[in-house]
Amino acid sequence: MSKTFAIIRREFIARVRTRTFLITTLLLPVFMVAVSVIPALMMRGGDRTTRIAIVDATNDGFGARVESALGSESLSGKPDAPKRYALNRVAANGHMVAVRDSLVALTGENPAQHPETFDGVLVLGDSMLQTGEAEYLGTNTSGLESMGSLEGSLSRVLRETRLANSGINPAVLKDALRGADLKTTKVSGGKATGESGAASFMIGYFMAFVLYLGVVLYGQQTMMSVIEEKTSRIMEVLASSVRPFQMLLGKVLGVGSVGLLQMSIWGGTVYLVTSQRVRLAGLVHVSPDAMQQFPIPTMSAGLFAIFLAYFILGFLLYGALYAAIGSMCNSTQDAQQYVAVLTPLLMVSFFAVFAIFKDPTGGIGVPMSMIPFFSQIAMPVRWSLSAVPPLQLVISLTLGVLALLGVTWVASRIYRTGILMYGKKPTFGEIFRWIRAK
Amino acid sequence: MSTPAVSIDHVTKRFSGHVAVRDLSFSVPAGGIFGLLGPNGAGKSTTIRMIMDIIEPDEGKISLFGSAASSRDLSARVGFLPEERGLYKKMKILEHLAFLGEVKGMRVSDAKSKADKWLQRLGLGDWGQKKVEDLSKGMQQKVQFAGALIHDPELVILDEPFSGLDPVNLQVMKDVVVEIARSGRTVLFSTHIMEQAERMCDRIVIIARGEKVVDGAVTEVKAGFGDRNIALTFVSGKEAAERILADRAMVAKCDDYGASAEVSMVAGVNPQSLLAALVGAGVGLSRFEVIEPSLQAIFIAKVGNAGVAPANAEAA
Repeated sequence: MSKTFAIIRREFIARVRTRTFLITTLLLPVFMVAVSVIPALMMRGGDRTTRIAIVDATNDGFGARVESALGSESLSGKPDAPKRYALNRVAANGHMVAVRDSLVALTGENPAQHPETFDGVLVLGDSMLQTGEAEYLGTNTSGLESMGSLEGSLSRVLRETRLANSGINPAVLKDALRGADLKTTKVSGGKATGESGAASFMIGYFMAFVLYLGVVLYGQQTMMSVIEEKTSRIMEVLASSVRPFQMLLGKVLGVGSVGLLQMSIWGGTVYLVTSQRVRLAGLVHVSPDAMQQFPIPTMSAGLFAIFLAYFILGFLLYGALYAAIGSMCNSTQDAQQYVAVLTPLLMVSFFAVFAIFKDPTGGIGVPMSMIPFFSQIAMPVRWSLSAVPPLQLVISLTLGVLALLGVTWVASRIYRTGILMYGKKPTFGEIFRWIRAK
Repeated sequence: MSTPAVSIDHVTKRFSGHVAVRDLSFSVPAGGIFGLLGPNGAGKSTTIRMIMDIIEPDEGKISLFGSAASSRDLSARVGFLPEERGLYKKMKILEHLAFLGEVKGMRVSDAKSKADKWLQRLGLGDWGQKKVEDLSKGMQQKVQFAGALIHDPELVILDEPFSGLDPVNLQVMKDVVVEIARSGRTVLFSTHIMEQAERMCDRIVIIARGEKVVDGAVTEVKAGFGDRNIALTFVSGKEAAERILADRAMVAKCDDYGASAEVSMVAGVNPQSLLAALVGAGVGLSRFEVIEPSLQAIFIAKVGNAGVAPANAEAA
């Protein structure tokens, strides 16, 4: 056992020391933090008061209503926050085009040097109330959000004015116009988890991606490490002191523990970023409110555990097979032919995720989360989306472990013969004979 | 005699289509240096791999130290240098040696201090923290050699240990091998270079085409070969000498070069009697040397050139 441990440790240290490990480990958390903070940082640039001149050609007080509606808006929706707009209403008095053009001439200057200038000119024509048509001439008209917000505000004033003109009480009106606000929260084990539906989707997708990538990357690394041992002929020294099964075990567990470390760092970062994001926002001077606008998923401790458990199971299952493939080959090119047997399994397990998103407890989701070779992605994703009955989890894990035992048995038999085979790559018939040999 | 370190009993190994080792039996006594000789492709490496339990014989039995356990279970007592050298290129030398010690069952700390001692001994003391790939080929060979010996095995099995070494490193490794044998431990090494075996080995086995051709102590093998020559250089009394050398009861053949001659004795006649006869006749000699047949000569005589397989069949 201490020999197996020596192999595990060698493999672990050799891998953790590489630059690749360092870079990939650091890059994902940096990416995660960036994805959650940068949008908020970016949006912050738009959070300043926009100076608008209103050319008012309306003759029924509609322009004044618009001015007061826009004037009451603040940047973050709170009453004490800075105003969203600084307004200056100019009556057109029949010279709409001339007034508009004279105001347009005042746009685009630096507000610090020319406080009398504007960011944009909003033109409200005399038929505005009927046609709903208005014109905005601004230095920045491509800001989708700010333009959308302006349009929304105008629409609201239009709606309210038209309805009020039809004799409807504004108070009733306000009440009637209040929309539905559907909050989705995932329920698990009879308890609300505090995860929103959108967040569950994101975390599920993220996990599926990382699990798929993790198994493929670490599986390939195991395979290449075996091939390297074969080509560097270190194999004979090892084979004379260590059993092939110990070598296989040491190799798979060594690479696997590197994977587990990396996954823990990644998963842990997600956990920290999502649970501490308000504090994180404070560090980069982004208002917590801005942060909360983005549906950043939160990862519960239970989900984190399931994620790691299924990563271990899935990696060991595929890792043993990748190692067996490595043992049969003398170059990575040779190995591709056999890897092609594993790739469809992994692809199916990844794409099944989309069926699970559609219906986590449906005819694809439930069996996929039970069947080994697929469950390592399907189960964590299902878990993140819906409540999983404990019995199903037990069945899934039991089947997984049974499959693992079977696969390890087959893999160690291929490995035993394969590692000392040089020359041409074996046919599938030969591999079958290796497995059956005493 | 004590239990042999290695005993090989009617072992046969076939590879798809051809027999690599055929009904081979020999035993390596504990202590001393044992040479496994043969041309390329004779089955030396196959035999060694079977001894190391890397491959299993199809027939026959191999035991180490008279134990029924497989040599892998006894690997803490056996050191092995395979013919195909290989190290992890990215690993640091000291850690690599320690790792090789660990898979032989040593404790990490013991393995590290031992590794350090070996590096000092082989003149690589400053290289411990360097990576394997930074070393020259000769240095890598030495590291591998140290790796086979790091756990102080009582049986050391070296497959072609001296191939590809420069004279300086060759000397260093020879000294180590001789020292191991002197300390009462056993060295089994294979080679196709007869001069090496002749100078170092106590006992040898020569195999060709997978079969044993010669087996025994080097002195016995040479004595048993018979064909002994005597080299003479004359100072005076050449005429008297010619009469004695013409005596076909004692001298089978004589190549006379004038001032010197090379003589083959009749089988069973002691070279001492020739010396006595020459001295008795008043012949002045500056040289009287019994030339033993070289292993090379014995090898060629026993195996013949036909025994030398083409070089590309070496993998067997």
